[in-house]
Amino acid sequence: MTLSKTIRGALAGVAVGAALSMAAVPALAQKTIALGYQAPLTGEMSQYGEVFRNSATMAVEQFNKSGKLPGATVVLKFEDSKNDAKEGVNIAKKFVDDPEIVGVLGDFSSTVSMAAAQVYAQAGLPQLSQTASHPDYVKISEWQFRNITTQAYEGPFVAKWALGEGKKKIAVIAIQNDWGQSVVSNFKDAVEKGGGQVTSVEFYNPGNRDFRTILTKVAREKPDAIYLGMFDEDGASLLQQRRQLNVQIPTYATSSLYSPKLITLAGPSSDGLKLSTTFASDSPEPVVKAYVDEYQARYKAVPTMFAAQAYDATNIMLAAIAKVGPTVDRKSLRDALAQTAGFPGVTGETTFDPQTREPTKTLARMEIKGGQFALVK
Amino acid sequence: MFDAFFVQQLVNGFSVGLVYALIAIGFTLIFGVLNVVNFAHGEVYMVGAYAGVVLITAWAPPLIAVVLFVMAVGAVAGFGLERLAFKPFRRFQDEASLKSKAMREATLLSSLAVSIIVREVVEKVFGGAMRPVPFESQLTDPVQIGELSFSTGQFVIFGAAVAMFAGLQFLLYRTRIGLSIRAVANNPLGAKYVGIDTDRTIIATFVVGSVMGAVAGILVALYYGSVFPTMGFAPGVKAFVAMVMGGLSSIPGAVICAIFLGLAEAVATEFLAQGWSEMIAYGFLLLTLIFFPTGLFGGARDRV
Repeated sequence: MTLSKTIRGALAGVAVGAALSMAAVPALAQKTIALGYQAPLTGEMSQYGEVFRNSATMAVEQFNKSGKLPGATVVLKFEDSKNDAKEGVNIAKKFVDDPEIVGVLGDFSSTVSMAAAQVYAQAGLPQLSQTASHPDYVKISEWQFRNITTQAYEGPFVAKWALGEGKKKIAVIAIQNDWGQSVVSNFKDAVEKGGGQVTSVEFYNPGNRDFRTILTKVAREKPDAIYLGMFDEDGASLLQQRRQLNVQIPTYATSSLYSPKLITLAGPSSDGLKLSTTFASDSPEPVVKAYVDEYQARYKAVPTMFAAQAYDATNIMLAAIAKVGPTVDRKSLRDALAQTAGFPGVTGETTFDPQTREPTKTLARMEIKGGQFALVK
Repeated sequence: MFDAFFVQQLVNGFSVGLVYALIAIGFTLIFGVLNVVNFAHGEVYMVGAYAGVVLITAWAPPLIAVVLFVMAVGAVAGFGLERLAFKPFRRFQDEASLKSKAMREATLLSSLAVSIIVREVVEKVFGGAMRPVPFESQLTDPVQIGELSFSTGQFVIFGAAVAMFAGLQFLLYRTRIGLSIRAVANNPLGAKYVGIDTDRTIIATFVVGSVMGAVAGILVALYYGSVFPTMGFAPGVKAFVAMVMGGLSSIPGAVICAIFLGLAEAVATEFLAQGWSEMIAYGFLLLTLIFFPTGLFGGARDRV
């Protein structure tokens, strides 16, 4: 080694040392606590992952600014699951191996969430999904939580509503996946218990956008109402084709269709659709208003129910971290999450059952009238 | 007994079949000439739809202007696609390379690569979500005839399919470029030896095929009222099945098989869950390949 290289090396060493010592001062005071977030950020479901990221980023920034957790900063680590169960498991393994991560949010669909949940259950890392509503998800282990009411709660709610309006014969159209299956079974049981009849159940494959054949088949049975278990894009296609086929059967839907996108896509065809929801972006409640205003200012869009679910899920996680304090670890975070009670979120007051870890929320009834979601009193 | 619901299913199936047929026409044309699958055809269809929707959103011109614009976009897309994914593999002009299967089949992957890149770019620019077509321009208005419900889009798509099919037959059998396309399809080396400019012919085939793909895209987008980056995939696969069933390079065969597939799926939904009706399409494909390895309408010498 020449002399000049030695000098340069020594100088570099000093510089690195100085940088390290400078970084070390805030590091001593400011501990970093990480939350993993797995969601579909690319691919067909990327729109949901995008709004989760928006909401979660906003929630964490607000939390760090609020000073609720002195001595520590919370950071989010996002991973793209592409709505693929295999990817979900890989991400779960990665998150489990990351010592900074104390808790995980996500995934989007029940299928991917449940695949990843197996890893989290074994490793003991608390997982809180904003949307996984399959009944078996929280039964996997004591480490699984969710911030969405399940179909076991929503199905009977809508069934009672429809039966109360004199709809005795109801046809069901649902997406063919874990979640769609739970939509159908819960709704069907509730309708039959209430003295009604489910005339037909039609499952369609994910990715299908032509519902004309299904609608024609359903219309043949002449039901009093149709119940839809699907997401906004599928729902919009179906409603448009329903109008075009001149099928004028009253239609009810799962809360997953509560999205401004549905009206943008389906336009006048969406009028008259009835659904239940936990989140209404035009609600006069101050928490909701503050959230909607800031979300709009940041991302130039009205938050959907999915965005709101993710916002609440992140905040529930953060509240649990704040409760334990900067020494939070995976186990203490799990215990704190299980004690969540009366959390004042934008999707209604949320309480986790400490035993089953099922959330309870208040549901509202909505109907689309003149291109707007309107609360049904 | 006249069962309106069953006839309605046939109408539904026929219109789905026409959508497959619109895509299959361009697909088959390109296959006929190159003897290789152009995996980016579904993306040309998607790009045509997006281009049309962007134009409609900006200026809302009449349908005919939209179609002309989309045709131009399709022509550019076809030319660009050929230049990027196919031409580089034809740079060796010796006989061994011209006859080489590996050379030809490499374009299978290069066209797949182009299709993935185009789809991801569109997703980055426009987002992964469905975009609505402005309501005034949609072709989704119901047309009630007796007990049957049609929509304006179904008539437009039917008209377009007939026009495209007839136009293509005219081009192939009544024009000089059609003659050279048929010559190259029949025997590329022979065509070269008699002095046909095969490069120019292949480019022309891509332009014509892609114009058809792009027009199909915008019409279907207007009929369904929305566009999304992966819209080309599912109908593209069905068009591919129709092409294989029809004998790979027979355009009338592909059209007939596409319509047959659409009808079969619709009728199957009457008896099975929609998810299973997909099985019908692939079941027919398997049966065809087992009993008619050259396809239902294939096997003739003339390959376009």
